[in-house]
Amino acid sequence: MEIKIFKVGKDKPEEVEIHCHEMTEEVREIVAFVKTRQGQLTGMQEGKQFEIAVTDLAYVEAVDNKVFLYTQKQVYETKQKLYELEELLREKYFLRVSKSMLLNLMKVGSIKPAMNGRMLAVLKSGEEILITRKYVADLKRALRGERAD
Amino acid sequence: MSGKDFWIDFIRTYFMIVTLITIVMCIVGKVVMPEQTFGYEAFTAPLIDGFVGTVPNFVLYSKRELRVKELLVRKVAQLILIEAAVLFLSLYGADQSWREPRIVGILIGSVFTVYMVGTLISWIVDLLSAKSLTKELQEFQRANEG
Repeated sequence: MEIKIFKVGKDKPEEVEIHCHEMTEEVREIVAFVKTRQGQLTGMQEGKQFEIAVTDLAYVEAVDNKVFLYTQKQVYETKQKLYELEELLREKYFLRVSKSMLLNLMKVGSIKPAMNGRMLAVLKSGEEILITRKYVADLKRALRGERAD
Repeated sequence: MSGKDFWIDFIRTYFMIVTLITIVMCIVGKVVMPEQTFGYEAFTAPLIDGFVGTVPNFVLYSKRELRVKELLVRKVAQLILIEAAVLFLSLYGADQSWREPRIVGILIGSVFTVYMVGTLISWIVDLLSAKSLTKELQEFQRANEG
């Protein structure tokens, strides 16, 4: 795929235009990437497509090779992989807290112990998310502004 | 829990138990058998008993992450297994004086105390860590709001 970049003046809006033969998985990935950078994710619910603001997301979970986006009240399925979302959402204050979960740190109300060096993140909605021992150290680093490995 | 995490936990628990057994042996020995003297082989007792007490850690191993309640149930099972192991060592491994019901009772009670103290220390450390994380999290959220 050829890539062309044109600089535009401040008076014109920035835009990404894709010319493709057909809507392939690769094209969908590019679209998803651009949307995520703009603070939007695409999720599916009962066959319908929804645009979800990243700031509304509480956490992202992978279950049986499917990835789900959780807001306070809704659950959406996404085609994006957990590791892709981890990379894309890192700058939006999301952090991996277990093998299968990304957590929006801005939605966490408090943290409490969960035995054996693990922690429970209590969301502002009251929901509890387990932070496994391996990722507690990453959480400490993230809160101190250090980048996790 | 990964295999690596399990073994790190195993080794950490082993050394914690060895230390606590040494302390308990010292205190119980001074109270119950103050005239008793030992040879150098006495140093091996906490090491062996520590290993026997750590083997039930396998009960806690799980490939998937356990919920708090599941972990609690397994910890109770672990304590029962440790008590059984200590009872077995007391009845079949040590000399005659360790088979007296009073001594067996003290041993069972000591193991229970050691386990509870170990769990309490671990919980307090986690609680302090959680409080510190909550404080840092609130500062992080204030700094990144809007």
